[in-house]
Amino acid sequence: MATVQVSEAEKLYVLHGVRDDLRVDGRGCEDYRHVEVETDVVSNTDGSAKVSLGHTNVLVGVKAEIGKPKPMVPDEGYLEFFVDCSANATPEFEGRGGEGLGIELSNTLVKVFSNKHCLDLKSLCISPGENCWVLYVDVLLLQCDGNLFDAISMAIKAALFNTKIPKVHICEDEDGGKEIELSDDPYDCVRVNVENIPCIVTLCKIGHRHVVDATLQEKACSVASLLISVTHTGMVTCVRKVGGGSLDPESIFEMTETGKRVGKALHAPLMELLQKEESLGSKRQKVGFLG
Amino acid sequence: MPVDRRRIRGPDESQSPYHFISKESQKCLASGDRRSDDSQRGPLDIRPIFARCGLNSQAKGSAYIEAGNTKIICSVYGPRETERKDETDMKSGRLVADMRFAPFACHKRGAWVQGNEEKDLSLGLLESLRPGVCLHKYPRSQIDVCVMVLESDGPALSHAVTCASLALADAGIEMYDMVLGCTVRHTGTTQLLDPTFSEVQDDQDGVFVENQGSVTLSLMPNMNQVSGLQSDGVMEQESLKAAVQACIEGCYKLYPVIQHTLLKTVRKNAPPSEN
Repeated sequence: MATVQVSEAEKLYVLHGVRDDLRVDGRGCEDYRHVEVETDVVSNTDGSAKVSLGHTNVLVGVKAEIGKPKPMVPDEGYLEFFVDCSANATPEFEGRGGEGLGIELSNTLVKVFSNKHCLDLKSLCISPGENCWVLYVDVLLLQCDGNLFDAISMAIKAALFNTKIPKVHICEDEDGGKEIELSDDPYDCVRVNVENIPCIVTLCKIGHRHVVDATLQEKACSVASLLISVTHTGMVTCVRKVGGGSLDPESIFEMTETGKRVGKALHAPLMELLQKEESLGSKRQKVGFLG
Repeated sequence: MPVDRRRIRGPDESQSPYHFISKESQKCLASGDRRSDDSQRGPLDIRPIFARCGLNSQAKGSAYIEAGNTKIICSVYGPRETERKDETDMKSGRLVADMRFAPFACHKRGAWVQGNEEKDLSLGLLESLRPGVCLHKYPRSQIDVCVMVLESDGPALSHAVTCASLALADAGIEMYDMVLGCTVRHTGTTQLLDPTFSEVQDDQDGVFVENQGSVTLSLMPNMNQVSGLQSDGVMEQESLKAAVQACIEGCYKLYPVIQHTLLKTVRKNAPPSEN
């Protein structure tokens, strides 16, 4: 993980600020930084999104491919997550430096999505036991300034919203052999229902309080953080303690409560934004990467 | 590619035939408050635990733990010089945790190479143990914790944490407190402490149950600090809170057993008294 050096005096400054509900950049304890979402940024994907959260920048591409369903669940498709920490984000990620973080991030995403509530995997099935859609969700970190989990989860939700899976139908020939036929019309496609996809909220414990959306500097001042993934109805799909410190039970209860409240409030504006962007169609002004 | 039509080739991947038998509709609670594993325990009891220290003579410290059919061994090596010189920390030591499943440990055969799931569990184990170890007492050195799950019946991480902290104590590594692990399975309104494999299986009749998930927690009982917390499934926040509380209570139930094991080890290792 990209790290910043924080002196004792700086730590105290951040700590006292958090105690008085005023953070270094002027935010309160439960405020997010400025979030920008743009979908359909990479043309070669079936769905893509770019999210910037302060100086954190992530790009997610979704590619749909036809694969074989897992033998235990023959009537469901599945998702594959891969997080790449490129050396662009920080020189520490060069070579195999980002491998550990990448595995941690992708394993957490697997945990967050590993339930039947999030995504209707049955809708990804083409023919049970033989073919299904596999959604490869590839996450690229372009810039790191803390709170990767939240930015990634938002970007994944946006990218899956944007994903268009081409329609296929199965033809059977005389010998009983099956053939998958792709629709001729490129606009004839299926969308993924993203309503129940959760957003991750990371809460950093600083002093006796906790903050959401911590910057790298704030993260360096905290000993432990708790990440909670919350759906739009307030259901919790995954909780994880990250970092080297420990938390007392009382603060865990407080943090889950805050996490649920903040996470629940995150969904409506995000969906509204995505729908608004979608409705603009080709009139939409593209921002791209340097905007 | 030309295909040899004279013989039927098997599939590229092999599967255990047991996956394809129809699932009997097992109930978590068979009758009344009894558990599925045929023992006398109620829903909020942990499985009886057998734990011993100091089995591996080559390691600095080691421990073995058995809870029902879950069997775990752990060895601790170090403190020793860090292998990678560039990562040497002048102020505090480095804790390295490695958790592996034997290929025959689970229902499905595993690979010898560490998979993603094992890497994830290793990380969970490391983060649970680290707050308990006085790493600042071991500057420029590295402590290795190796956990091997011999047989797995239900979530293994909680027992691995307990076993690893026993091994660390046996190795004489300075610690703030023991770290104990506990798992709770929450289904609908019922809670099952220390579940077995059949109890954590999702939707037994193919019916999706709302509000279902597992919570694994690591606790330092004397300091009353939670050093690790992981949950999966879909749960309401209230249920999550209840599950965390149940886990904490479970850890306190476990504590006397672990204390007893440690005392026994210390007595065995102590030089015979004068009289």
